[in-house]
Formats: sequence, structure tokens, C-alpha cells
Amino acid sequence: MNTAINMVSLWTLIKREMVRSLKIINQVLWPPVITTLLYVFVFGVALGSRIPSLQGVSYAQFLIPGLIMLQVIDASYGECSSSLFQMRFMNAIQELLIAPLSATEIVLGFLLGSLGRAYVIAGLITILGIVLVHAVPQQWGIFLLLITIVSVLFSSLGLIVGLLAEKFDHIAVLTTFAITPLVFVGGVFTAATMLPPALRSLELINPIFYMIDAFRLSYTGQSYLSPALSVGVVTTLAVAATAVAWRMVAVGYKLRA
Amino acid sequence: MDGLVKRYGAFTAVGGMSFRVEAGDFFGFLGPNGAGKTTSINSIVGLVHATSGSISVFGHDNVREWREARRLVGLAPQEYNFDRYLSIRDVLLYQAGYYGISHRSVRARVDELLERFGLKEWASKDYLKLSGGMKRRLTLARALVHSPKLLILDEPTAGVDVELRLELWSMLRALNAEGLTIFLTTHYLEEAEELCRNIGIVRAGKLVALKPTTELLASGDSLQDVFLELTRR
Repeated sequence: MNTAINMVSLWTLIKREMVRSLKIINQVLWPPVITTLLYVFVFGVALGSRIPSLQGVSYAQFLIPGLIMLQVIDASYGECSSSLFQMRFMNAIQELLIAPLSATEIVLGFLLGSLGRAYVIAGLITILGIVLVHAVPQQWGIFLLLITIVSVLFSSLGLIVGLLAEKFDHIAVLTTFAITPLVFVGGVFTAATMLPPALRSLELINPIFYMIDAFRLSYTGQSYLSPALSVGVVTTLAVAATAVAWRMVAVGYKLRA
Repeated sequence: MDGLVKRYGAFTAVGGMSFRVEAGDFFGFLGPNGAGKTTSINSIVGLVHATSGSISVFGHDNVREWREARRLVGLAPQEYNFDRYLSIRDVLLYQAGYYGISHRSVRARVDELLERFGLKEWASKDYLKLSGGMKRRLTLARALVHSPKLLILDEPTAGVDVELRLELWSMLRALNAEGLTIFLTTHYLEEAEELCRNIGIVRAGKLVALKPTTELLASGDSLQDVFLELTRR
């Protein structure tokens, strides 16, 4: 009885996350769309015309999967970290904590709400890619799988940081010093084959490289690394991050005294 | 509550508290600041993990049978802690949802509460637009939306004017008359004297009195005198 998932409670929490996203649509939906448009114009169209084709597609088409991953990572981390921290900050989290909601329901509610936001943003950018540069996903299975796993991973990291943070400033620490640099050198704008061998080896310790490389396979049909290896690495990280987030919620870390 | 102990490091907030509140009672839980009232309340609702001891809510242990125990309790905290992204109606609908009650089946209950607490006209508004008194009423409505059997009120009339205080007293009396068990903490001793049938007084994490209000006042002293006598350090 105590371990079964209450679907009404879970759906309520998912819906709450969606309502929150809609209420701050100018912060969560339009910025990734506009940023993507700018990236496509500046790097893809203006500068990209001087770059030869990569993985059999134009540079602008090569960019699109990287930009989708970039925004999925940003949206997933941002949704969970700021939503949870705000709830803690305003003590609205108490509404969840005194209700008969399990740690599993709370974590799933945040993750699925965040996943919804990631799907919407990925969908919009995919449409932009099709309309602007005729970049069409070829393998929808790997396309959806990667978006899902990557969103779960960064949503879980968002939950962890949302629990650890003592002030809003702390939420930005992981983004500024880890996520953004790793994303930018993780293959959004460059193919591994464009890098000198020493840097290419260095990419292998950047987890985001595995995500983008495998995701780009869904567009170009080519990847630098084995897709099974990349999916394995990303899935392992997602499971580990989710387990840590679940454990923190289950023991009431910074939630219950 | 049976032998509840809560320690924060070397500090003991609640030092072995035991008492029982009967179903249907209007129970006052009084004590000076830092006496352990909020820690006790938070232990009942699961916001605090007890160091030792146990709490049972209508026969359900609040650790082993936490889902059943929590379904039976409604908490109206002292501080406003509404979800800022939800309208007033949604605050109630979503709270019911967290308790596993679907929006469709709780809609009539929400309308009834909005009407009862004078919030109907404000239902689609943001809670930030409400006055302090209306926020206080919304806190009560939210605590009641899942039809709990025990309502815990933490300083329900703190910072409200006399008129609203009397209005809230009347609402609380009516709820209690309908069979709701009420557990009230307050610093307004006349409030406890006016509303509560039984009173427990705590000092430094220990219960120092637990009596019917009439017995506490039998000597002819005011509740304030009795309270000061029992809690004087």
C-alpha cells in the first residue's frame, strides 16, 4: 500500500510542473527557440557556408542535433533545479511533504514534468531545423531515446542541486562551471574529426560528447563512437543521478528535519 | 504521542512527550517560544523525523502507516506557503490532487470551501492579490480540502485584526461541532480559553500540564496566570 504509485498524486505534480512552465513561458520556451535561430543563422548559415560538409550533411544541418541536445540539457536542469529550489525557498514544498506522497512519486513528478518541457523544446527546435535547413531526423527511436535519457540525467542533477542549494546563486554554479563549458566543447559545433588527436582523446572524458555524438546519429546515420557505448554511458549516468536524487528525497535531505 | 523525543545535535527540542487527544476534541497546545510546539506539530505531520518515540493518528502509526496517517491530517501553518504559480482555486485543487483526490471528484468540495471561506470571487486570482485575512482563510481552506479528521492549526490568528479573529473563531467552532478534531497552538491565551476543551502546556520540550480548560481555571486564576506559573523559568 505504502509503496504503490498513486497516479492521481503523480499526475497532479506533473501538471503542476507544466503549469509552472506555461506561467513563465517567456523564460522557458522562447529563449531556446530564439537562441537556436541565432545559432543557426550565425554559425550555420553565415559562417557554416565556408565549412565543408560534415558526416555527409551541410554544417547547418550538422548543427541542429547539437543545438537540440544543448537546449534539452539546459531546459531539464533548469526546470528541476529552479522549481525545486523555489519550492524550498518559499516553503511551498511543505504542501508535498505533508501529503501522502512517496519519494518515488515526488522524484517522478519532477522528472516527468521536466521531460515534458524537454520534449516540447526539442520538438520546436526539430521543426525549426526542418523548416530552416531541411535537417530531418532519420532514426526516431534513437532520437527519442537520447532526449529521454539526457533529460532524465540533467533533471536528476537539477533535483540534486535544487536540494543542495542554499541560495539561487548556487543553482548557477553547475551550469556556469561544468554544464556550459562541457556542452560547448562536447561536439555541438564541431565534429570529433575536426579536432587534433590529443583533443579528440580528451573528448572521451566529457560525458556530453557521448550524448551529442549518439544523438547526431539519429540525423546523419553516422557517429564517432559506438552508439551502444554512448547510450550505455549516458544511461549509467542517468541511473546514478536519479538514484542519488531519489535517495536525497527519501531521507528528506534539507526537506525534513 | 508516546514518548516523543527530538534532538538536534546536543539540543533537545522535545524531551519525551506523551499525550492523547480524543477524537472530536478542541485541544490547545500552549507554550512559550522554543518550548517544542512546532517541533511536535512537525513530527505529527512528518516534517520532522523523531529521534525516538511514536505518534499515532486515529490508530495509524505516522511512520509505518504514513500514507494513512497523513491522509487524516490537515495542517494550517503559521507562515503563508502557497504555490505562487497557482490560482486560489488551483491551490485547493492541486492540494487535493497531492492527496490522491482527482480534480473532478473534488471540484464540488473546492467550490464549497471557496464559498464557506468567502474566497469565491477571488478563485481565479493569484494568492498574492489577497489580503492577510483572506490568505489566512485560504490556509484553512487548503488544510480542509482533503476532508481530514484532524486539523492542526499553528497560530491561525497571528497578525489578524479583531474582527477576522472572531470570524475565524466562529468558523473553527462550527468545524469542531461538525466532528473535526482540532489541535491548536496559539500565543493568544484568551483564544485557547475561548475555544479549547482541553489544554496541554509545554515548557522546554516537556508537557507540564494536561487538563480540561475548566479544571485549569478552577482556581479562579486566568489562563495567563496559570500559564505563567507553569512556564516560569
